[in-house]
Amino acid sequence: MVDIIVLIKQMPDLEQVKPDPTTGEPQLKNVPLKLENLSENSVEEAVRLKEKYGGKVTAIIFGNEQSSAILKKAYAMGADEGHIITGFKGNNPSLTAKVLGEKIRALKHDIVILGNQSADSISGLLAGKIANHLGIPLLGNANSIEVSGSTVKVKRALEENNQIIQADFPVVISVTQEINEPRLPPVMQIMQAGRKPINTEAATLTGREVKVLSNKAPKSERKKMVFEDVDKGIAEIVKVIREESR
Amino acid sequence: MYVFSIIVLIGLLLSAGFFLYTIYRLLWNAVKIPEKKPGLKLQLGRRIYLVIRNVFLQAKLFKDLGGGIMHALMFWAFIAFASYSSDFFVSAIFPGTNLLSGTFEQVAFFTVDIFAIIALLDVVYAFIRRWGIKIKRYQGYNGFEAWFILSLVGILMATYYVLSVLRLDGVSANIPGSIGENLAAANTPVSYALASVLPKVSATTGYYIYWTAFTIHAADFIIFLAYIPTSKHLHLFAAPFNVLFAKEDQAILKPIDFEKETRFGATDIRDFDWKDYFDFYACTECGRCTANCPANLTGKTLSPRDIIWDIREVVVAQGTEYRTRGGDRDQVFKTVIGEPILEKDLWSCTTCMACVEQCPVMIDHVSKIVDMRRSLVLNQGKAPREVIDLTRNIEQYGSPYTIDPSTRADWAAGLDVVDLSKTPDAQYDVLYWVGCVASFDKRNQEIAKSVTKILKKAGVNFAILGSQEKCTGDPARRTGNEYLADMMIKGNVETLKANRVQKVITSCAHCFNSLKNEYKDFGIELEVHHHTEFINRLISDKKLSVKSLDSDTLEKYTYHDPCYVGRYNKLYEEPRDVVKSFAANYEEMEMNKSKSLCCGAGGGRLWMEEKEGTLISHKRIEQADKVNATTVVTACPYCMTMLDDARKTTGREDKMKIQDVSELIAGRID
Repeated sequence: MVDIIVLIKQMPDLEQVKPDPTTGEPQLKNVPLKLENLSENSVEEAVRLKEKYGGKVTAIIFGNEQSSAILKKAYAMGADEGHIITGFKGNNPSLTAKVLGEKIRALKHDIVILGNQSADSISGLLAGKIANHLGIPLLGNANSIEVSGSTVKVKRALEENNQIIQADFPVVISVTQEINEPRLPPVMQIMQAGRKPINTEAATLTGREVKVLSNKAPKSERKKMVFEDVDKGIAEIVKVIREESR
Repeated sequence: MYVFSIIVLIGLLLSAGFFLYTIYRLLWNAVKIPEKKPGLKLQLGRRIYLVIRNVFLQAKLFKDLGGGIMHALMFWAFIAFASYSSDFFVSAIFPGTNLLSGTFEQVAFFTVDIFAIIALLDVVYAFIRRWGIKIKRYQGYNGFEAWFILSLVGILMATYYVLSVLRLDGVSANIPGSIGENLAAANTPVSYALASVLPKVSATTGYYIYWTAFTIHAADFIIFLAYIPTSKHLHLFAAPFNVLFAKEDQAILKPIDFEKETRFGATDIRDFDWKDYFDFYACTECGRCTANCPANLTGKTLSPRDIIWDIREVVVAQGTEYRTRGGDRDQVFKTVIGEPILEKDLWSCTTCMACVEQCPVMIDHVSKIVDMRRSLVLNQGKAPREVIDLTRNIEQYGSPYTIDPSTRADWAAGLDVVDLSKTPDAQYDVLYWVGCVASFDKRNQEIAKSVTKILKKAGVNFAILGSQEKCTGDPARRTGNEYLADMMIKGNVETLKANRVQKVITSCAHCFNSLKNEYKDFGIELEVHHHTEFINRLISDKKLSVKSLDSDTLEKYTYHDPCYVGRYNKLYEEPRDVVKSFAANYEEMEMNKSKSLCCGAGGGRLWMEEKEGTLISHKRIEQADKVNATTVVTACPYCMTMLDDARKTTGREDKMKIQDVSELIAGRID
């Protein structure tokens, strides 16, 4: 039996986000939220571990009322319990780790699973900071997870070598996209997910928040030259490249 | 009573008893096991028509001419023999009594006498087909059953003639306890001819010949009767009923009520309805379905015949177990998916409906295959990787593509098209449902542009839904994700209602079928036209004038039928009429119209890799090349994608073009 906590987050669907043509700020209005990619892998892995070894999967998400749809997705995939922590923006990973760490401490946990970096903020710091906050080992960038008794073994692909590392419960594990292919939840579970209770609580934070002052798409100044005639075009392109590289 | 009469009576009673008992067991299965209902409508007129057409006239058999004629003659011989055999057994059991008399007797004997020789020749022809020229679809399927039954039929006919000759010669009339009286030569021309060439026999020899022939004839019939329900010849009984009960809309999928139902799709034999059981019972293993299956024709293991037959065997085995031992239904009825039905076979199906179209006894293979896909997807979340991605895209973006849905109408930029997402109050007569592929795929956007040009030229006041348009749900539906399809369809129905849509034209075969045949189950009745149909009418109404080809052109045209336009909706002539409105140099491919070969994209296969065997689209493009077509015309973005790829990957880029019907016309109306 393994008690697993999976940390998930919601994010706007990046395919549908367009920068405002005048300000360069992303237009987030009407963009649907989705379960962040690696969070989906994390839930999948947590559920697979539960299916294999028995136990319980608890999902925690920062968010608002909208997040219940995301949490229900985790339920549909097989999570047993879910907590929404509201009133927190989370631009400072240290603070985020603190809030999450306190919540985790209050719950039974053998393994804490999360993505190694989220698709929107890409800091990659959270796993380490949570492990640090809880004072437990971090097994980072896992490609596979294996449990025996109260020991957990993790395979990780590093730049030049493949590593297998091991630690005793409790641990924090950050996972990569390669760890699994997230499932398509069966309909019965989707329908049952709608009826499962959701625990919501407000974040109690102490600490300094990082403010985002500006978030703009970089300006790219393309020359937009189109050469219809291939033969002439090649000569032109060569000329342009020569001039530009000077 | 005579000894022979008693033996015949006992034999017949035993055989009939066994026959009825077996039928009872099969019907018991069909009544007691299913947990779903077929929801048939009465439709008496249609049913009578079907039985006359497909049973008595054997109409669907003639799709394979040789086998069709053979079977029809055999069938009619059996009908002819029904009255003769009744008369035979009445006379055999009660010597001196006859069932038939007068004109009726004369007609009955005349037909039987003619059909007996036809049936005999038929038996010989059947032997030649199966073991002589070895027709592919028969190979490896119940050779013993075929051999046995053909022998029984042959012997029945041969002994009939022996008995008839003896009757004509006046031999049998003198044998106590025989069936009887003398026959009139004029009523039995074939027997008479035989009697005139065969040597006359003495009374004693005649006596022995008579009883030998009589015994064999009676025993043959008795064995035949008992054998029918336990073999593929059950179709003698089951097929006529299966035709009678046939659903109006074969291969059209039915919704699932997610609020009420608890078993989704078909997992085990409980999930098929009693009409499906008749499908299983009616199967004769003739193999026409498999012989026309695009997947099977290109080296995949999917065989619609095996799907039906394998489930039938499961029904018989598990049905017997449940009937004799009872017990927990969950224990007795084990899933059919995996064993004997392979998952990969279920995913190989393009839902092209060639099997359904071919089946002489009106079995619906496609909806069963989709039902088993539903079981995998809805109950276990199991599907090929590409299908899961497809599903995610439809869920997230409302189309099979990972493309921002707000860009759906970008193809129409600068074309001055009324977009109801931007001008919701615009007045219009017809909605052009563009479909995802023509909206987002570069090559297929040409179709959307061409349709637009044609409609504008003909002065049709039309509009598009723009970013409000979402996937019709067809790819999700055909890949078994009814839950998602249900969501998409309900969303679209709301949009269509909000925009007061009544009349729709669409250039996508799959959208066409969904909107026309499947949306009514979700509470909206629309007048839906495929663009080929609509363009054809614009041409015949002289709203468009199409420039004909220059006489010295080397262009040669052929038309590829999209399954969901042709087989699903029976539009075979309209697209051809459009092509022929300007092009004289036209030739049909080897497989066309109702026998057309699928492009390989239906049933969600457009988004799946074709790993097993060879590519269906390659086979199709080769067929087009065989008639030296320079332009292959089609009428569906799916077909366009497949054939255009096949043209390139088989190195035919320089000598062949793929064109949508709309593109052809759009280029000739300036």
